[in-house]
Amino acid sequence: MNWPVIAAEAALSVLVVALLAGDLVLPSRHRPRLWQLALGGLAALAAVLWWQRPWVGDMLTATVQTGSFMAGGASMFVLDPFAYYFKWLFVLTAALVVLLTRNDAKLLSTQVGEFYLLLYTALLGMLVLASVNDLLLLFIGLELLTFSAYVMTAYVKTDSKAVEAGMKYLILGSVSSGCLIYGVGLLYGAAGSTNFEVLRAVFSSGELPPLAQIGLLLILAGLGFKIAAVPFHLWAPDVYEGAPTPVVALLSVGSKMAGVVALLRVLYGIFLPAQAVWGGLLAVVSAATLFYGNLAAIPQTNIKRLLGYSSIGHAGYVLMGLSTATRFGAQTVGFYLLAYLFSNLAIFFVITLVSKAGGGDSLDEYNGLSRRSPLLAAAMFIGLSSLAGVPPLAGFAGKWFVLLATVQQGRMWLVAIGAVNVAISLYYYFMVVRRVYVLPARPASSGAGGAPATSTPIKVDGLNRLILFFLLGGILVIGTVQGPFLSVLSRVINF
Amino acid sequence: MMLTASSSSLLSLVLLAPAAASLLLCLVPSRQAAWVRRIAVLATGLSLAGALAIVWRYDRSLAGYQFEVVVPWISSLGISLHLGVDGIGAVLVLLHALCSFCGVLISYSIKDRVKEYYIFYLILITGVFGVFTSLDLFFFYFFYEMAVIPMYPLVGIWGSDVKEHGRVLYSKEYAAMKLTIYLTAGAVLALIGLLWLYAGSGLQTSDVVVLEHHFAFSPLPANVQHMIFPLLVLGFGVIAPMWPFHSWSPIGHAAAPSAVSMLHAGVLMKLGSYAIIRLAVSLMPEGARLWLPWLAGLCVMNIIYGGLVAMAQKDLKLIIGYSSSSHMGYVLLGIATLTPLGLNGAVLLMFAHGLMTALAFAIVGHVYDQTHTRYLPELGGLAKPLPFIATCGVMAAMASSGLPGFANFVAELLVILGAWDRYRLPAVLAVLGVVITSVYMLRLVRGTFFGPTNDSLPHAHDAATPFARLPYVILTVALLVVGCWPRPLIALIDVSTRPIINRAIQPAPALPQHPAVPEGAQ
Repeated sequence: MNWPVIAAEAALSVLVVALLAGDLVLPSRHRPRLWQLALGGLAALAAVLWWQRPWVGDMLTATVQTGSFMAGGASMFVLDPFAYYFKWLFVLTAALVVLLTRNDAKLLSTQVGEFYLLLYTALLGMLVLASVNDLLLLFIGLELLTFSAYVMTAYVKTDSKAVEAGMKYLILGSVSSGCLIYGVGLLYGAAGSTNFEVLRAVFSSGELPPLAQIGLLLILAGLGFKIAAVPFHLWAPDVYEGAPTPVVALLSVGSKMAGVVALLRVLYGIFLPAQAVWGGLLAVVSAATLFYGNLAAIPQTNIKRLLGYSSIGHAGYVLMGLSTATRFGAQTVGFYLLAYLFSNLAIFFVITLVSKAGGGDSLDEYNGLSRRSPLLAAAMFIGLSSLAGVPPLAGFAGKWFVLLATVQQGRMWLVAIGAVNVAISLYYYFMVVRRVYVLPARPASSGAGGAPATSTPIKVDGLNRLILFFLLGGILVIGTVQGPFLSVLSRVINF
Repeated sequence: MMLTASSSSLLSLVLLAPAAASLLLCLVPSRQAAWVRRIAVLATGLSLAGALAIVWRYDRSLAGYQFEVVVPWISSLGISLHLGVDGIGAVLVLLHALCSFCGVLISYSIKDRVKEYYIFYLILITGVFGVFTSLDLFFFYFFYEMAVIPMYPLVGIWGSDVKEHGRVLYSKEYAAMKLTIYLTAGAVLALIGLLWLYAGSGLQTSDVVVLEHHFAFSPLPANVQHMIFPLLVLGFGVIAPMWPFHSWSPIGHAAAPSAVSMLHAGVLMKLGSYAIIRLAVSLMPEGARLWLPWLAGLCVMNIIYGGLVAMAQKDLKLIIGYSSSSHMGYVLLGIATLTPLGLNGAVLLMFAHGLMTALAFAIVGHVYDQTHTRYLPELGGLAKPLPFIATCGVMAAMASSGLPGFANFVAELLVILGAWDRYRLPAVLAVLGVVITSVYMLRLVRGTFFGPTNDSLPHAHDAATPFARLPYVILTVALLVVGCWPRPLIALIDVSTRPIINRAIQPAPALPQHPAVPEGAQ
């Protein structure tokens, strides 16, 4: 037994209980400040993660000695650099989501305490997922994350759209979970174990029996749902539109990253020799996902829905990197996710602030934003440009690397599709930029129900300013000084 | 070498001055418009000084890339920030430095959101300098996109709709979006080619100099060259702007604010032709042999079609916009000839046309600021209130028509002479294009500056102060100096085009894979 390896997860479990207690004890007038408590908990978790450094084992050799947690004679849980790196990213995402909730008035008006509780359990799921070395644990981690997300999506019970979104997410999610567990079962049937090491040994020849092929396919379907890949993308736009913005941020960044982590673990950790089976499949799915996400984003009129489609498009690039089945390809996916995290979260901060000031998430709210708040306009411009892949921003380097990995692998048709989609995505991102910078603000009460004028300045308080500067600075630094990030990733993603 | 040690910082200065200024401007409060302008003038002034020093100190006897700076960037992928210019690059850096300095001065007429304007403008300037100086595929593309994207806000926010009789023909948003999408679509096409080039060399390096050496001994297989070459030419050709992908350009010019049109037509279009020379022709001679005759055919369409359409326009900026697309046809034709004369002419024409177009857009901008119209039938007789501007306008028109004494004459002559050897018919048609140019240019001058005055126009003020006249003077003098004394620039260009031509027209030596190519040196 190697307890320090699961220290972070154990600590988070304790924190869940502590937060629950805190929520009960805290007088209701202090409720709006509960986010500080939630953030403090995450800081404590970060401290535990930092303390865990000596127990981080070597990649893939960390089976028996350091860095793994044994259960029933086989290691189910590993703490390798890959897991460790992504745990940090998950904690960072969760912290930013907590900070996002500050700006969400609708969310703060409800029982916000349980919301942080669910966020913690979702984070627990993601942390577990980063470390899985067993298909069953993978399922558990994923379900922990997804179940929390179901509830969080429908958290604002008075909002019928949110409830509808939650329902949709639940139904489609359950189907995909069913696929996943069925696939796990089939793989168990084919290999006689759910442990990654055993599976890797059994399938090391690269030949997959039909049973295992179907199992892998089903697992891919289940994980494809998580990252919103075509044809399992249907939930994304509705859920993005209906769910509270912090939840959308968590889904689009955290949940997607968790799905990719699981994909990397399964595809690269187990089935790398069998890449002939899944490489081409992922490439086709990637092409479809790219086209669907980017084309369907064009006519959108709601910023969150637009980002829902855009997140589908980005899943396409992630899949493109994964489809290379090369180590460099996997590293570029890691880089892409990092860029995506910073860019998307910056945009979500702007969305919460604009929605707080104006009321809605309609794209019309963004008309003339540059006159209401130059900072928010600049953040929106930089965030969207980064997503579109404009230098010197993070998204540019991410796209360049993913495309480079695909070129090296030799799938030129996929590169062409990826490149074309850069131009398509630029169009709808810049349609938003056009509203922000070019179009005049909507005059007072022209909209339905006498909405207030969208020309009043938006005040951005100090903390939000700081976070925005952090995120925008991150986008710029990742986009210009790519080397250090790539070299970290080359040590971390080293299958 | 002491010379290189001290001069290697020159390129960094040229590139970093506008970049640093744009970052610095983020910190200046937006109320301090005067300081914003001063910082921008200072930064571009520094770049101009650096560019002049580069042209002055470029050692022609050594030729090759000079003032090199190499900063390892992503060593695992062989990507480094490799700056350096040969004669072609030096001339274009000078062109861009001149145009951007004048552009910043012309931008004094911008009154709305000054700080944001200059930030975007300086990013644009940085990007263009970056393209002309980087010798690395990654950074080439990096700076290229960085130069293209700021055009969107610059045109979208500070531009003006293209009107005809008060009716909006093209809105500025439409122009900005069309421009951005066209250029990005071209860029991603080129991106495929660049990535393929990188992967195809098998060297794990994106250093253009290393690739040049490598391909000299072991070129890419002919069929690969045949596929990559059109990707690069079409991709970068969009910005050049090559017919039939030119339609974004006149509209974009017309809708952009004058200072942006100056850079756009003056310099940005040259990014395309420069990229075709530097990457496509220079690295893939086999592809060049196959595809350049096709390019020559397209150029003729550029020259004739662009010219004819320009004749039909009534908006001053649209006239100059279409004329730019027509003149860039000569540049591409010069490249397509693949003769020393033609290629030298092409590079010199990039320089000359850049200055001429920048001057023309500055003049039109001034006329528009004063009269609030660019519609030719509404203008007339402006030589009286605007004697200085009218003089410059006549100069620009004469330069554009290729009158002796202006740099354009020398350059176009070289291009046509170069073309005569290889493509007879295109050469003849190109001469015809010169006639077309003089028709619409003279019409423009007559309609704007001479003829009956339109009394309903507001009273126009000339550029009166020496400061306001400075950009016009710089551009006109540069055109005349190079026109009367083109030798130094041509000599500079010639030493750098020779090796490209030699590589392109001689079949590659049938040497085995050379193990001692100096790629390890980087």
